[in-house]
Amino acid sequence: MADVKLENIVKQYEDVTAVDDMNLDIKHGEFVTFVGPSGCGKSTTMETIAGLTKPTSGTVMIGERDVTDLPPKDRGISMVFQNIALFPHMDVYDNISFGLRLRKYDKSEIDRRVEKAAEVVQLNGMMERMPDEMSGGQRQRVAIARAIVRNPDVFLMDEPLANLDAKLRVHMRTELQRLHKELDTTIIYVTHDQAEAMTMSDRIAVINAGQLQQIDPPLVCYNEPANLFVAGFIGSPSMNFVEGEVAGSGFTSDDVKVSFNPSDYNLSRGKDVTLGVRPEDVYLANNSREAADPTVPLTATTDVLEPMGNEIFAYLTFDEDATSSMTDAQLPGQLLISVDPDTEIEEDQEIEVVLDRSKIHLFDTAGGKALTHEITDTGATSTAGADAEVGTDD
Amino acid sequence: MATETDTQQIGTNKEDEPELDRGPFEAWAARSIKNPKRAYRAMFYTAMIFFLVTTLFPFYWLLMVALTPDGSLQNIVLAPATFDPALLLAGDLTMGTNPGAFVEIFERLPFHRYMFNSFVIATVTTVIVLVVSSLAGYVFGRLRFKGKSPLMLLVLLVSFFPPAAFFLPLNQLFNRNFAVLQPVMSDGSLYNTPYAMIIPFSALFLPLSIFILTTFYAQIPDGLEDAARIEGTTRLGALFRVIIPLSAPGVATAGVLTFIAVYNEYFFSSLMTDPGAENWAPIVEGILGYQGQYQELYNNLMAAASIVGVLPVAILVVVAQEKIVSGLTAGALKE
Repeated sequence: MADVKLENIVKQYEDVTAVDDMNLDIKHGEFVTFVGPSGCGKSTTMETIAGLTKPTSGTVMIGERDVTDLPPKDRGISMVFQNIALFPHMDVYDNISFGLRLRKYDKSEIDRRVEKAAEVVQLNGMMERMPDEMSGGQRQRVAIARAIVRNPDVFLMDEPLANLDAKLRVHMRTELQRLHKELDTTIIYVTHDQAEAMTMSDRIAVINAGQLQQIDPPLVCYNEPANLFVAGFIGSPSMNFVEGEVAGSGFTSDDVKVSFNPSDYNLSRGKDVTLGVRPEDVYLANNSREAADPTVPLTATTDVLEPMGNEIFAYLTFDEDATSSMTDAQLPGQLLISVDPDTEIEEDQEIEVVLDRSKIHLFDTAGGKALTHEITDTGATSTAGADAEVGTDD
Repeated sequence: MATETDTQQIGTNKEDEPELDRGPFEAWAARSIKNPKRAYRAMFYTAMIFFLVTTLFPFYWLLMVALTPDGSLQNIVLAPATFDPALLLAGDLTMGTNPGAFVEIFERLPFHRYMFNSFVIATVTTVIVLVVSSLAGYVFGRLRFKGKSPLMLLVLLVSFFPPAAFFLPLNQLFNRNFAVLQPVMSDGSLYNTPYAMIIPFSALFLPLSIFILTTFYAQIPDGLEDAARIEGTTRLGALFRVIIPLSAPGVATAGVLTFIAVYNEYFFSSLMTDPGAENWAPIVEGILGYQGQYQELYNNLMAAASIVGVLPVAILVVVAQEKIVSGLTAGALKE
């Protein structure tokens, strides 16, 4: 049993706070992924668990032991690195057995374990190769074998697939999941690749600016993001945000109005809120049946189309002055929607779209905290027809 | 060859005008213009021969001096005056030269002991320098701390001083009797012991080695050290098991440079010891010991001793050559 517990971890580099009061409780056998933008502190957090970095304050527990002051070698962990980090002057056998030899295991025991580890990662018969004679995928498998051969309590993986090509990455992803099932150990995985995080993890820890934003199963992070950051970070392309405020009849902004009864969500009038909706939860008005609970149609103009093959991403503008150089979905007055590839749609075309009310998120603009993840009532005080409309007079 | 004939054909085809009457040098120049590779090859061989002659001729001359019988040094032209290959047929394997000098050097003085002295002093100094500069190189190359650059500069500053500046205070220090040393040294002073040379040499040659190893150790990716520490080494273990083996060219370069410098050192060694092999005097002292009162200042025994003395270093360089070359260039070319 090896739970990993971080209690109030703080790491400061001179005047920069890399990790800010991090609390994490990872259960034995769990596959937890740290995601976040570059420099958010996810790697520092992992290095703190590994013992490569000493926290400024706080405690690291592995199993029942306080390991905060232990060197890496005494923590019962192993690690796979982004740059693979095989020892270039040793062959595959020496690389895999490095840790065992340091711990003075019997020769026969080392042979047995190395052989077994090599079998798990399908490396048999390559024991005498040097790292520079192997392909990227093979090297990565050696690194994984080196990590599993010691039967550690916890595996740490710091972007292990980042340097592999796309096809190999997908393959290794499934290999890692198979490995997790076989080994039944705790895996902590750092990545900035959402697909890896979504597909492999039991839970995702979203980190930003050194702070833990949310730790939940992947679909919970996707469907019920705790705040604006998680909502924008998880999902590709990211969620559309429209800033507005609470009116008596619901949400209102220059471009989008959605009616509901504010008191049902404990919202006071005049509060600044941000509406979030994912591109796939916006439908063309003539397909509004597909939405579980459509709003009244909004009129918009298509700006840029991005045909992806299985879907088309269309950037819509509400503001007629918006130019096509403004292709970022986050820009005010823009909405990114995903439509069926068969849809007949052109650039600069006026279309009507509806939002799926059951998939609308509301966030507190000031604090970023999520207020609701669906809007269920139609808003008793609203008048029909004013449910949602496009603001043309700004 | 094929390209050469091709270009010549093209040349002749093109030139329908009458052949110019050229001298051999002009003809060579004309060919070189058509085929510049010839000129480059000629320049390469010229430079090559120049460097070979300037580096190897002194050795050749040493050998000739050593083979000349005592007292006839002035008669060497390119070989000793008495040299006559015809004597080989008469059964004289030496062909009129005097290889006996190579034996005589060991008879006249315990030259092997002088070599041993220099070898031991150089080896011990090299070991000390490599161990200390590895640790210092690790700190300067891989750790981040305040005041690193000024400290590194201070270390390098030591190597900017002329070593002679340190001589007087050191000589006085080593000639003083220390009660602490009484149980080890009979009179409690370091004068006439190898320590009087090993200690100052280690200090003098450290900065260069630290500088070389710092640049090497700094280039080893952090991930490798982290991996070693996760796998079960301490920081020191990672240094010796991963960082140093991967920096082998740098370690070899620093080691060989230190060894050669100490092995050939004369100034300090001669002043820290009395002449005489039993006083740990170095090779050069031994070579100078062949100067007899009524002989030429430079004689065949000195030449023979010089050749024998240079052998260990020559062997060392040949063995470590590959590593040294990659070491000297690797520092300059950062990947």
